[in-house]
Amino acid sequence: MPGIIDVKDLVLVYSDGTKAVDDISFDVQEGEFFGFLGPNGAGKSTTIKVLTTLLRKTSGKATVAGFDVDKDAAAIRKIIGVQSQETTVDGDLTGRENIELQGHFHQMKTSEIKPRVKELIELVGLESAADRRGRNYSGGMKKRLDLATALVHKPKLLFLDEPTTGLDPQSRATIWSYLEKLNKEDGITIFLTTQYLEEADKLCKRLSIIDFGKIVASGSPTELKHQIGADSIRISLEDCKKFGPKAKEIIMSIAGVNEIVESEECFTVYAKNAGLLIADIVRALDKSDIRLLSVTFSSPSLDDVFMKHTGRRIRAEDLVKAPSAMIGRFGRR
Amino acid sequence: MTLFSDTRYIFVRYMRKLIRTPILLFFSLFQPLLFLLLFTQLLTKLGNIPNVLPAGVSYLQFATAGILMQNAFGSALQSGNSIVADIDTGFLAKMLVTPVSRAAILLGRLSSDAFRVVVQTAIILGLAYVLGAHVTTGVIGILLIFFTLAFFGLAWSGISLALGMKTRSSETVFAIGGVITFPLLFLSPALFPISFLPTWVSDVSMFNPVSYAVNASRALMINGYEWGTILPAWGVIGLVAIVTLSATLYQFRKVVS
Repeated sequence: MPGIIDVKDLVLVYSDGTKAVDDISFDVQEGEFFGFLGPNGAGKSTTIKVLTTLLRKTSGKATVAGFDVDKDAAAIRKIIGVQSQETTVDGDLTGRENIELQGHFHQMKTSEIKPRVKELIELVGLESAADRRGRNYSGGMKKRLDLATALVHKPKLLFLDEPTTGLDPQSRATIWSYLEKLNKEDGITIFLTTQYLEEADKLCKRLSIIDFGKIVASGSPTELKHQIGADSIRISLEDCKKFGPKAKEIIMSIAGVNEIVESEECFTVYAKNAGLLIADIVRALDKSDIRLLSVTFSSPSLDDVFMKHTGRRIRAEDLVKAPSAMIGRFGRR
Repeated sequence: MTLFSDTRYIFVRYMRKLIRTPILLFFSLFQPLLFLLLFTQLLTKLGNIPNVLPAGVSYLQFATAGILMQNAFGSALQSGNSIVADIDTGFLAKMLVTPVSRAAILLGRLSSDAFRVVVQTAIILGLAYVLGAHVTTGVIGILLIFFTLAFFGLAWSGISLALGMKTRSSETVFAIGGVITFPLLFLSPALFPISFLPTWVSDVSMFNPVSYAVNASRALMINGYEWGTILPAWGVIGLVAIVTLSATLYQFRKVVS
C-alpha cells in the first residue's frame, strides 16, 4: 500500500564524500506515529532534510503524499510541518509574531491566522509569554513555540527532528503529551527522529533503527524487543576482577540461562523469564561467598535491540540517567 | 500576489529585528557620525587654501556626500551578516520548507537594506543640515540622493550577501568588507577633492565606482542637477549591481536547491 512517505533505496552523499544515508527503504502510513531511532550522526536529520525538500538526494526514490521530493517540492511544502533539530525561533520577534510570520509563509489569510495563533499558543501553554520576545524564552519554551510554528497551517504530516533533545525530563514529558494528542486526536501523521530510547518506545507505533546511514531493524517497539527473546540481568560484584570468572561459571550452570556477556558493571546474563532466576542466582553466589553489589533486571529494551544489531549501545548526548534499579526493584525500561 | 506579500512580510521581519536591536543601528551609524562631527572639524581649514574646494563651499558641505557613501557601505555590510545568521540558526531552512516565494526571501532582505540606507542617510543629512551643510537642490534633490545611495547600498549588499552565503561566516564578511571599503573610499574623491589628490590616485579613481556615486550625490548637494554626472553614476552603479546581485543569486540558488 502506498504510504504518506515512501522511500526506496535512498542514498545521500554529501559533496565532501560522506555517505550520510546509505541505501535505505521504508514507508510511513497515513495517521501513523513513525520514528527513526539512532545515535548522533546516524543519518536521521539528513533523511528528514531530503523528505522536507531541503536536500537533493543522490539516488533512489522518495515520495511524500505521492509527490516526488525533487519534482513536486512545492506541493510537498504545502502539506508538511517541520521542526528542525536546531530550535528555530526568531529571538527578536515575540512568540505570537513568530507563529504569525510562519502563517504568512504558508500564504494563510490574516483573518485565518489570528484565531489559529491563539489556539496554538493555548495548545503549547505559552499564553503568559506570547508577547515576550523569543530570545527570553527558556529552552523548553522555545521548543514548544517552534512546534507551534510548525503546526500553524494544520499540516497533514509533521516532521520532528529530535524535538526533545536537550530538554529536562519534565519539559520532555510535556512535549510528548502534545505529540500524542496531535497524532491521536487530530490524526496528524508524525515522523520523528530521536536518540532517546524511551521516547521512541513511548511514542512510536513503528520505528526503524538507523546507524551509520543504514536501517538495521524495523518494526513496532514490542516486535523489536520480542526479537531479542530474552530478559537481561545485569550483575555487579564487589570485586569483579577476582570473582567474575568464578561467578559466571556458577551462573552458567543454572538451568535456563542462555548467555552471559561482559558489560560495564561486570556482566549481563540473558535468559527467558529471567525474573524467576534472580533468586537462584543470588543464592548460588551467596553460597560461594561472592559478594554482590547490585542485580538489575530488565525486560528487553530498544537499547538491547540496538546492541544486538550494531554491537554498541546508543549514547544519547545528554541522556538523562534512569535511576539504577537495585535488588528487588524490577525496572522496566 | 504572493511575491509581493511574501516580500513585505520578510521586509517587516527584518525591520522589526533592526528596530529591536538598536545597538546595531547605533554601531553602523557610529562611524559616519564620527566622520561628520569630528573628521570634518579637523579639516575645516582646507577651505582656506585657494582652489581646493569650490568657492563658497565648506569642507563639511563637501565631505557630507563622502560620509553618506561610507554609511551606505557600512549598512550594506551587515546584510551579509544577517543571511549568515539566518543560515546558522536554521531560520532560512525554516522558510525554505514552506511555500514562501524564494525570490521574496532575497527581495525582502534587499528592500530592507535599501530602506535602512535611506533612513540612515536621512539622519546624516539632517545632522549635516544642523551643522550648516544643506542640499541646494531641495526636496527633490534629497529624494534623488536617497535613490542614489539606496541603489548603491543594494549593489553593495549584493557583495556581502554573496560572500555571506559562500563562506557562511560573518567574520569573513566583515573582514573582507572592511578590507575593500576603505581603499575604495580613499581612492575616490569621497573625502578629498580630486585636485587635492596625487595624480595616480585621481587616475585610479576613474575606475572606482565609488567615485561616480559620490560625485553624483555631491553634485546634487552642492551644484544642482548635473545630469551629466548623475546619469553616468546611476549607470555605473547599475553595472556593479548586475554583477554583485548575479553573484548573490548564484550563491542563493546553491543554498536553496
